[in-house]
Amino acid sequence: MYHLALKMLLGDRAKYAMLVGGLTFATMLMTQQSAVFFGLLKWTTSHLSNMRAKIWVVDRNVQQANELKALRDTDVNRVRSVTGVAWAMPIYVTIQSAKLADGNFKPIMLVGLDNTTLVGRPPIMLRGQLEDVRLPNSIILDELGIQRLSVGRAKPLGLGDTFELNDKEARIVGICRADRHFFGYPYAYSTYTQALQFAPKQRKMLSLVLAEPAPGWTAEAAAKQIQLETGMKAYTEDELFWSTIRWYFRNTGIPVAFVSIIVLGFIVGTTISGQTFYAFVHENLRHLGALKAMGASNGLLARMLLVQSFTVGFLGYGIGVLLVTLFGQVVLARGDPPFMLPWQLPAATFAIVMGICAFSALLGIVKVWKVEPAIVFRG
Amino acid sequence: MSAATSTKLAVHVRAVTKTFGTGEAAVPALKGVDFDARQGELLMIVGPSGCGKTTLLSVIAGTLNFDGGEIDVFGSPLHAMKPRHITEFRKRHVGFIFQQFNLIPTLSCIENVSVPLLINGVSRRVAEQKAAAMLDQMGLPGRGHERPTNLSGGQQQRVAIARALVHEPRLVICDEPTSALDKDTGGHIMDLLCAVARHPERSVIVVTHDNRIFKYADRLTEMEDGRVQRVHGQGGNHDLIE
Ligand SMILES: Nc1ncnc2c1ncn2[C@@H]1O[C@H](COP(=O)(O)OP(=O)(O)O)[C@@H](O)[C@H]1O
Ligand SMILES: [Mg+2]
Repeated sequence: MYHLALKMLLGDRAKYAMLVGGLTFATMLMTQQSAVFFGLLKWTTSHLSNMRAKIWVVDRNVQQANELKALRDTDVNRVRSVTGVAWAMPIYVTIQSAKLADGNFKPIMLVGLDNTTLVGRPPIMLRGQLEDVRLPNSIILDELGIQRLSVGRAKPLGLGDTFELNDKEARIVGICRADRHFFGYPYAYSTYTQALQFAPKQRKMLSLVLAEPAPGWTAEAAAKQIQLETGMKAYTEDELFWSTIRWYFRNTGIPVAFVSIIVLGFIVGTTISGQTFYAFVHENLRHLGALKAMGASNGLLARMLLVQSFTVGFLGYGIGVLLVTLFGQVVLARGDPPFMLPWQLPAATFAIVMGICAFSALLGIVKVWKVEPAIVFRG
Repeated sequence: MSAATSTKLAVHVRAVTKTFGTGEAAVPALKGVDFDARQGELLMIVGPSGCGKTTLLSVIAGTLNFDGGEIDVFGSPLHAMKPRHITEFRKRHVGFIFQQFNLIPTLSCIENVSVPLLINGVSRRVAEQKAAAMLDQMGLPGRGHERPTNLSGGQQQRVAIARALVHEPRLVICDEPTSALDKDTGGHIMDLLCAVARHPERSVIVVTHDNRIFKYADRLTEMEDGRVQRVHGQGGNHDLIE
């Protein structure tokens, strides 16, 4: 009977299109908007993708990557002495203001790297040599930084050009590509010692320690060992990523916006799909009543409606996710707005869309169950 | 009168009452109906509009609950059965033919006819084979893959008859099967139904107020105001039939 149920639905082109379209729209709305929120949240973890290390050692009260509390300079050596640690390097992260040609100031995220190893170096060098960052007053700036700091100049900043960073002269020796920070700051890299000179003197200057597990150690085990031996907090890359995202989820308005979108998608989907499906059942009530008269049980009729409803659900969901993925590829290729589509998002949307379908089918099922088979004899 | 008409009872109805609505709006549609249909006969229920013919047909077919009395259809006591078993009874033993044909317009003729078999759990392949064969038998060879809406009214009613018979039910129920058709087409449909009734273990009950087709009945039950008034035919009055 199920193939006939599908044929009945397919035979009603307008409603069929409406149902698939409505569910596609709801899927897109929910998946795409959530992906944008997750993308925004991912921006909060730009430190991780821009410095890249297996283990991140921070102050024991730090819960997320953008709220670092200074460590003592000696803490690097304490991490190095932990069994299970192959190496550990210091990082200094600070927000400093750069002066523009027009006299205005723009904040930049300055990252100071270990002088010898340059661990935490920019992910992709576009121009210049990474090693030149060891030269005095040198800096590697990301594309966004070049764009921002070029404002008011006749010609965009290039290699060898200088600008004022916190009243000190900084020379651009490289241009890199880096992920954007949540607050919109460009990234600039220098050596650790150089960064200390750019920044005003403070008592404690070490922001975090990047470390690598020793051979035979997993990052998790080494991180645990660091915590045990130093009392500092050590995250694996993955742990810090999710800890950061969780922090923003808990401490910002993002979840509210997020939930509103889900609710909106749910309402749109339920309204369109529920109403259309109900109308479909209503118009076919005579035929469904005839089936009932011919001995189709309530269970069989319910299963037929479920097959119809879930078929349009699968279709609408599939098309919706496909379109969102395509959208994501375009957006990611252009590197523009935030977009992140972890598998949990389509999975959650899937569950919601199936819920909508179940609800729509239920409306129809109740209606069909109430039908007296004797209506087929009435004109 | 056919020799095949037996006196074994197919349907046995005693003192059946049915009232629609309650209180001031109550409409007593059946006021104690006594009625029998025999195996191997085509029995007509006739009477003025609103006298309760369709209601009687509905309770016999098990599609409508009734308030009092007893109905026995081929050994199934409908008055004592649970709804689930009545559904089962309809599925196995009842074939339906409606005034408006009630074919599903989005399905092909073969698919429409295969429905009772599918409901009975027959596989799709076998059901469609049997449906096609039944359509041939009804004089519609080669039309099986068309939509019913492409056929004439008479042809659609043939499809409906094929659907009513495909699972070989013992009771075939027809409500005004010819009133949407012209005289000749209606005559052909009645010829078909008479042939259907020539089966020793089957009974065909036709509700109609179309006096042009009275002559096709083996017996004729006349209803008036919720009661059976007279039975014409074998063992009864022949005036209306002849
Ligand atoms: N579902 C219903 N609700 C209320 N009254 C009904 C219903 N069905 C039939 N009736 C009433 O019951 C009476 C018998 O109807 P029906 O059996 O359809 O008569 P017939 O088929 O002989 O024209 C009529 O008065 C009709 O108005
Ligand atoms: Mg009637």
